[in-house]
Amino acid sequence: MSAENQNNRDQHTPGEPTATRSSAPMWIIVATLTLLFLGGVYFDHHSGWFNPRVYAPYQTSDQLEAYQPKSGAAAALAKGKGIYENVCGICHGADGMGKPGVAPPLAGSEWVMAKGYARLAHIPLAGINGTISVEGKDWTMAMAAMGAALPDDDLAAVLTYIRGSWGNKAGEVTGDEIKKLRTDMGKNPAPATGAQLMAMPE
Amino acid sequence: MKTGIGVFIAAFAALGASWAGLVLAPALQLGGTKVTTVLNSTEAYPVQRPGEAALGLQVYRANGCAACHTQQVQQDGTTFEVVLTGAGKDPVTVSNLAAGLKLTGLTKEAADAVAKSIADAGGKTETHLNGTGADISRGWGSRHSVAMDFLYDAPVQPGSLRAGPDLTNIGARAADVNWQLLHLYAPRAVVKDSTMPSFAYLFEVRPATGSAEALKLPAGFSVPAGTEVVPTPAAKHLAAYLLSLHADAPLYEAPYSQLAKP
Repeated sequence: MSAENQNNRDQHTPGEPTATRSSAPMWIIVATLTLLFLGGVYFDHHSGWFNPRVYAPYQTSDQLEAYQPKSGAAAALAKGKGIYENVCGICHGADGMGKPGVAPPLAGSEWVMAKGYARLAHIPLAGINGTISVEGKDWTMAMAAMGAALPDDDLAAVLTYIRGSWGNKAGEVTGDEIKKLRTDMGKNPAPATGAQLMAMPE
Repeated sequence: MKTGIGVFIAAFAALGASWAGLVLAPALQLGGTKVTTVLNSTEAYPVQRPGEAALGLQVYRANGCAACHTQQVQQDGTTFEVVLTGAGKDPVTVSNLAAGLKLTGLTKEAADAVAKSIADAGGKTETHLNGTGADISRGWGSRHSVAMDFLYDAPVQPGSLRAGPDLTNIGARAADVNWQLLHLYAPRAVVKDSTMPSFAYLFEVRPATGSAEALKLPAGFSVPAGTEVVPTPAAKHLAAYLLSLHADAPLYEAPYSQLAKP
């Protein structure tokens, strides 16, 4: 029997240790809350709040978005390629060579290589209905306004891509230029024939 | 046992909290990971490993390769580089301006400012993004590893100890199946000071038949005349797996500028 136990306040069974109540020290509560807070700050700082796409050294999804390499012609070409292969490449071919009886080639096409982009941009924006002559051959398949639903920047990227790929060497098209063209064309422009396109400003 | 219910609740809360933190939260965070595309491309990523390589993952696992090799590239930060792509109408001013500016090793803000000052002078620029870090300097990869890289691996073998080099991109660094097989059979035959144990038991020494599969051993590692060393299926699977290790495509979550292919 130790002195401690004999001094125990429990009267019923002397010598037996008993649990007593006492409140947790304030410093433990404060330390726990501080650690929880610092843990939260750490997660906020390093994981964009559990965002599955945010990894160090990026800290938030906004930062990751801002750091995406997107400036420059190479990035525009790469973006245009992605859209082209999903939207245009099905008929015109991933290699831009077209498909006999389906769609004319874009590689080396005088419509694509033209100095201005207005006639070329009219095709995805309004569609084609009737005969169009490409590289000396007449094509009579109709084309829907495949580009009408694309945002300005995306359509510009596609046009930049087809004007700068497969040996084509025509200039860049910007989203602002497409926006202006769209405003000029008005709502629901009618699909054109090759001859009508030819009559438009280049 | 007056405190029984309290003990039960406390134990339940403790186990439940670790389950929530170690199982539920990661599952919610990464459980929905699906095949994606390479940044600025329509190429799918990741691609499933071919059959032999998928079997090789189990050989990799069985031989404890992950005890000494990692498959995770670390990245400390990013650096920006501004590249002049067009001099505009006043080439002399633009090139003089560009020559006087720091164009590499920039932060995002500095790169944007440099690009703007050149654009104001009429020039055209591209801004490239590159990862930085010890692993990237060693040539082990171009970006940090992400969960997507392991999508088709079961179990994933990221490893934690680097007695040997990181293998995230070994399929690109040593893309020769004969090199891989020879290295597995006799590591010091190809890497002089390698500390890797020989995995000779994955190979068979048999009377020579002139097989095309027989390893071409360098001097000092040859087997008795009239015999040859051929890989067992396990060795071939492991080599196929090692060749399939190439997790370096730029992704949305791990971007870097891949220069346009010529």
